[in-house]
Amino acid sequence: MGMTITEKIMARNSGRDHVVPGQLVWTDVHTVMTMDYLGKTCFDKFRSLGKTEVFDKDKVICVSDHLVPPPNQKFATMLNEWREVVKQHDITNFYDLGRQGIAHQIMVEQGHVLPGTISIGTDSHANTYGAAGAVGNAIGVTDAAVAMATGKAWFRVPKSVKFNITGKWQPWVMAKDLSLHIMGMMHWNGHLLYKALEFTGPAIESLSMAGRMTLCNMTVDLGAKNGIIAPDKITERYLKGRTSDAWDMISSDEDAEYDQVYNIDISDLGPTIALPGKLDDTVSVEKLIGTKFNKAFVGTCTNGRLEDFAIMAKIMKGKQVHRDVNMILVPASQTVYLEALRAGYLETLIEAGAAVDTPSCAACAGIHTGVAGDGDVVLSAGNRNMTGRMGSKNAEIYLTSPSVVAASSIKGEITDPRTFDV
Amino acid sequence: MIKGKCWVADDYVMAYDIIIQEYWTSAIDPDENSKWVMAGVKEEFNKENAFKDKGYTFIVAAHNFAGGGKSIEHVITGLRGAGIEAVFATSFARLQFRNATNYGLPFVTCDDIDKGCETGDELEYNPESGIIKNITKGTSFQSVPAAPFVAEISEAGGLMNYVREKIAKGEPIE
Repeated sequence: MGMTITEKIMARNSGRDHVVPGQLVWTDVHTVMTMDYLGKTCFDKFRSLGKTEVFDKDKVICVSDHLVPPPNQKFATMLNEWREVVKQHDITNFYDLGRQGIAHQIMVEQGHVLPGTISIGTDSHANTYGAAGAVGNAIGVTDAAVAMATGKAWFRVPKSVKFNITGKWQPWVMAKDLSLHIMGMMHWNGHLLYKALEFTGPAIESLSMAGRMTLCNMTVDLGAKNGIIAPDKITERYLKGRTSDAWDMISSDEDAEYDQVYNIDISDLGPTIALPGKLDDTVSVEKLIGTKFNKAFVGTCTNGRLEDFAIMAKIMKGKQVHRDVNMILVPASQTVYLEALRAGYLETLIEAGAAVDTPSCAACAGIHTGVAGDGDVVLSAGNRNMTGRMGSKNAEIYLTSPSVVAASSIKGEITDPRTFDV
Repeated sequence: MIKGKCWVADDYVMAYDIIIQEYWTSAIDPDENSKWVMAGVKEEFNKENAFKDKGYTFIVAAHNFAGGGKSIEHVITGLRGAGIEAVFATSFARLQFRNATNYGLPFVTCDDIDKGCETGDELEYNPESGIIKNITKGTSFQSVPAAPFVAEISEAGGLMNYVREKIAKGEPIE
């Protein structure tokens, strides 16, 4: 019997010819990532295992993203301790303030994720790495410490679920809309617990790397183990110049076995919004036309990429953000920031009245730049909308795509970008 | 054999309610994390040591315990520090199932357990047979026994001890 891409990757990296769902295996990890607020604990735990040198100095990726630039003394001190410990272990790839970005963006953008391999990170959205044809998995600091010492992690091989996506993308409709649509369809943390989600079909083959990252990113919010898209020409083009490691075009076998297969035709898929409180409470934009909000936020590991700012600049060029709306944009990395600057997107957006902040996780984790206060209604292109997520428990968060945020921010109320006069 | 009182949770107890946002950047420490564990789950637990002081040994939950996509280990150390020795649920979120396994805290899958227990019931859990007895009600449940690997980690006192021992002995991890 054949194997799915996730099973193949688990087999290949555990030195086996074959694995079956449910099997527990120790696999090699290609890279292990940790960030500022958990990283010191990872290294402390790592040393407590009796090791002084990590398994590979090039393969432990350290990123400052949650706490930078430090908004208070507590975070500043934590960052100092973090820098000290990274230095002490002579880590090659340290993306500190100035070269930083959100860890998941850095991992893919800087070529630390390779098709056919497994990369792990101490943050839930490590599922993002599936966009590059890898198994990306979120783990805790204990697993990170063990992987730093041994280059290995344990996994239970998940059952796979296939999402076959067909049809043509409507204008202004983005991967985020598909993510939210699937969230509504499958229910948040409902039927997909522990599953490997594989996205295939013509609408995926035409999807950009940025869109693939968005789609895989939010699989963790479905309760899935990982989300993955088999590498193809788009992956190949993207990885060229980002990594010199060898990789191959791994894909699922024809006769691979799936727990479930879903066919989704996106021809009728419009802009989609998750209502405040729950990710799976999704509606199409038409249902919310005219809803007022006072904060707009685009950034995060879900939607802070060049493509996201490009589409916003297209919509917002020559227009002004509504006077009742504060718009905050946070590029996902310094590279994205610079590219968006050079392409003129940020100029357009700043002229329109948007505030741009230093790349970081920003207000998404509710502990940094642009947090929500009492009474705020936020229209966000981030990934989570539960009560209190961006700060105040008395704030509401609507989740949607950057194109909806852009069009809506001009009008000062939720707007369908398809009917917006660009 | 483990014996003690249980607390019955609702469906969908989320990891970020077990440990609320302001403690995500705290040190991972059972004493520290247990002070505010469950603070976001119920208002009555939103006081220092409120959950811990109840003296529960078990948590009984329904679907997707500790879900919502948070990988922080404070959740597990918080429960441990509060005296929890096993959690029984119809299903668990994978991130925290993994963390629980790594800390040797049994996250035990058991169908219908949520419907057969009330807060305060006295339970008895046999990790070997997987049988959970509700002494108060005189009923019993068969849970899914732990996979050998999970049992092995638990026996070693957690993944850190397991790996530390392997490294010290120069044994391969496979």
